[in-house]
Amino acid sequence: MATCAECKSFFTIPENADDYEQGKGDCVREEKDQKGKYWLSKPVMGGMSADNCSYFTKKLAK
Amino acid sequence: MATRHNPIEYDGKIIEFPYDNPAEEKIPDEEIHQNLARPTTERTKRLKARCRWKHATAGEFVDESVRAGIERMRLITEAHKQSEGKPQVIRRALGLANILNKCTVIVQEDELIIGYHAEHPNYIPMYPELAYMAVQDYLQSPKYAPQPVEEATKINEYWKKYSLQSQCEAYFTPEELFQMYQVSTIEAPEFATGYNSIIPPYETVLEDGVMKRIELAEQNIQGAMEKMAEPYWNATEGLQWISKIDEWKAMIIAGKAVVAWARRHARLCKIIAENFESNPKRKDELLMLADICQRMPAEPATGLRDAMQSKWFTYLICHAIDRYASGYAQKEDKLCWPHYKASIIDKTVQPMTHEDAVELFECERLKISEHGAGKSRGYREIFPGSNDLFIFTLGGLNRDSSDGCNDCTDAILEAARNIRTTEPSIVFRWHPKGREKTKYRVFECIRDGLGYPSIKHDAVNTAQMLYYGRFSKNNNGATPEEAHDWVNVLCMSPGLCGRRKSQKTRTEGGGAIFPAKILEVTLNDGFDWSYANEQLGPHTGDARKFETFEELWEAFRIQYRYACDLGVRSKDVSRYYELRMLQMPFVSLLDDGCMELGMDAMELSEQPNGWKNPITSVVAANSLVAMKKLVFDEKKYTMDQLMTALHCNWEGYEDMRRDFLNAPKWGNDDEYADTIVKRYYEDILAGEMRKITNYSGGPVMPVGQAVGLYMEVGARTGPTPDGRYGGEAADDGGISPYMGTDKKGPTAVLRSVSRVDSTSQKANLLNQRLSVPLMRSKHGFKIWKAYMDTWCDLNIDHVQFNVVSTAEMRAAQKEPEKHQDLIVRVAGFSSRFVDISRYGQETIIARNEQDFGPEDLEFLNVGNLV
Repeated sequence: MATCAECKSFFTIPENADDYEQGKGDCVREEKDQKGKYWLSKPVMGGMSADNCSYFTKKLAK
Repeated sequence: MATRHNPIEYDGKIIEFPYDNPAEEKIPDEEIHQNLARPTTERTKRLKARCRWKHATAGEFVDESVRAGIERMRLITEAHKQSEGKPQVIRRALGLANILNKCTVIVQEDELIIGYHAEHPNYIPMYPELAYMAVQDYLQSPKYAPQPVEEATKINEYWKKYSLQSQCEAYFTPEELFQMYQVSTIEAPEFATGYNSIIPPYETVLEDGVMKRIELAEQNIQGAMEKMAEPYWNATEGLQWISKIDEWKAMIIAGKAVVAWARRHARLCKIIAENFESNPKRKDELLMLADICQRMPAEPATGLRDAMQSKWFTYLICHAIDRYASGYAQKEDKLCWPHYKASIIDKTVQPMTHEDAVELFECERLKISEHGAGKSRGYREIFPGSNDLFIFTLGGLNRDSSDGCNDCTDAILEAARNIRTTEPSIVFRWHPKGREKTKYRVFECIRDGLGYPSIKHDAVNTAQMLYYGRFSKNNNGATPEEAHDWVNVLCMSPGLCGRRKSQKTRTEGGGAIFPAKILEVTLNDGFDWSYANEQLGPHTGDARKFETFEELWEAFRIQYRYACDLGVRSKDVSRYYELRMLQMPFVSLLDDGCMELGMDAMELSEQPNGWKNPITSVVAANSLVAMKKLVFDEKKYTMDQLMTALHCNWEGYEDMRRDFLNAPKWGNDDEYADTIVKRYYEDILAGEMRKITNYSGGPVMPVGQAVGLYMEVGARTGPTPDGRYGGEAADDGGISPYMGTDKKGPTAVLRSVSRVDSTSQKANLLNQRLSVPLMRSKHGFKIWKAYMDTWCDLNIDHVQFNVVSTAEMRAAQKEPEKHQDLIVRVAGFSSRFVDISRYGQETIIARNEQDFGPEDLEFLNVGNLV
């Protein structure tokens, strides 16, 4: 099972943030339409299944 | 070539009118407005070119990619289910927190002010907790319905029993609800539309920061707990702390959620800078924005960038996320001045140039232009060619009676002129002390055809704040100093702004009443024969049998009073439930009064500000004049003949119609007409309405205006005795002469209008259309300034101008794609002309273009024109 934490859109929320929870991250997507580029951020739990997420792209190993 | 104004013989000389800017002589009349936009920077040029406008025309969004989002309605519903059993004010706070913690946050390229209120920049949020009918409107639209529509429908069904609408409907008979939902004698009630307005206390956010407000609430809870624990328990006092403690707790939950949400934006900016952006300059900007959003609105604002971002976040919460509210009410130059001074003049924090500040204000205008308002189709219809009623206020006097105009005022006006957007509209408070430099900036915007600033009389409206303050239920109404701090709540009505005492809900003031339709039903014993085919008012007798004008007058009074009572009652019943079900703890956190007293902003009303908007007043006024003259004074026709002709829509009675059409009309300095119309405004429109007392303990006063309802309700109003055919548009606002009937020049209009005591009304809109060649000539400013000084001396409440030629409007009708920058003033808002329906466009063209003759120049004491 692919999880959100494995996705390149997943950015772990720092421990000093107001909304920090263990395993929680921001799902950040860059989008573009005829009006230009924009970025969307939505909180997700890293352990969530990403199997049905059409945006899932595996994070490259560092 | 442009048309040059004809020479005038004045003061013994022939006065020529060359263009102030000689280059404009070469621009054809049909194209001038396409040559006036000049975005300050390449950034604002790009942002305007890619702006996600949310304009509507005939109720439809012009941009087809606009739709309703499901995120907000999903999150508020989730929170509502999870918080069952908790105090209602806490549930409201948890609802807001759930939205802010889980919603999508958005940053767009090039932006210097960030934040949106839905999950996609083309989406608009829904508010099922307010009015299920408003959401239903979107659900039924294949184009706009939130997806998945089945889930959205289920959510709306869930809310039906809890919604404000359901609670309030129980206190009205089916007949009363039918009358209100017709929107022909009165506007539909707030509980059914969800339409709202507010003046958020931006001052506390910028001066204190949200964290300090949270600390205050925490201290208050601690103090309350200590009081409750004092020896010799006294329940009559002690139990009062419970609701206060709940309110302060709710404030804290809401405040912390807002700070965390703003900081999510900070994090997103940093992520974009570090992972997506390759342009080093933009990277720096994003890191700067990250720093700002980490601190704003948590901390006090320092420089101008802080202030603009903090203000924007506060706006989003108060107007769009916690609850939908139209408007953009704030005294922007006063709010931003300390930060402008720090950044531009002193350069101590966030140093920048005046031009940088203008760019920032242009960015703000574009941000507002793409803001999506979740209002129903009915409300989209009444703002044709525009987005929503986004209006802020500038100028006037400060608390110490010094001139309130400053360099920040000028920067805001420059931005408006440069970027040319229909929103936000601007109100300028005119006072003789106001500096000429700023008045020239106001003139430039008006001359360029923006339709704003609309101008309000500073002294008249400051006095009004003091008047309302007298009725304060807790004896804490406006002080003489505070009375200077007022802004327009929406199009026309003033209300206090500042750290406390501002208006927080439209159930205090707002909502329309339609005298033209009311006159029509008066003539038919309360029955609406031309539209609803139902009884819309009480039985006041068969008009064919009226033998005196006074009988007619008194019947009209009764019908008008009935509509006023029903309209204001519906507002106050809404208020009763708002303070029990729709508390706004974040707004309460910001208000010093709510903080001190532990009361919710929906409940606490220290400064009454009651009003209702008569719209279509002049059709009724001119009709009364015509009937008095032709039926009761000259006896040329009988009431029976008139009623027969009206029921035939004048068909077969053309000569008779011509007589009624040619009867004296308002706005021509005609003593016969003006005497009746003065009495109509003062004795009936104001006299009857002011006998009503609203929730806040003060009188309700008329705010004469129009929005687009003069078209919509005109279409629902049958033929009227002023010679108008059934279905034709009504008058375009407040105290404005009916389109095309003010034939004696601009100063005759001023003389007529000044006959009505402006203090008897809360506000009254005066639309005037001025000659383009005159306004753009080298004498334009001098003549306009003399006109404004005279207007001020005559104590007239308001005036606003269209400066657009018929030639250009006709050209835009033929080739709309070439006239996207043509803006016109419709009523209390400006519109993109090409986005208005043909019916509406014709009402603008039909307005009389006022020119100034020698007698006008003499009356205005213009002085030497060289």
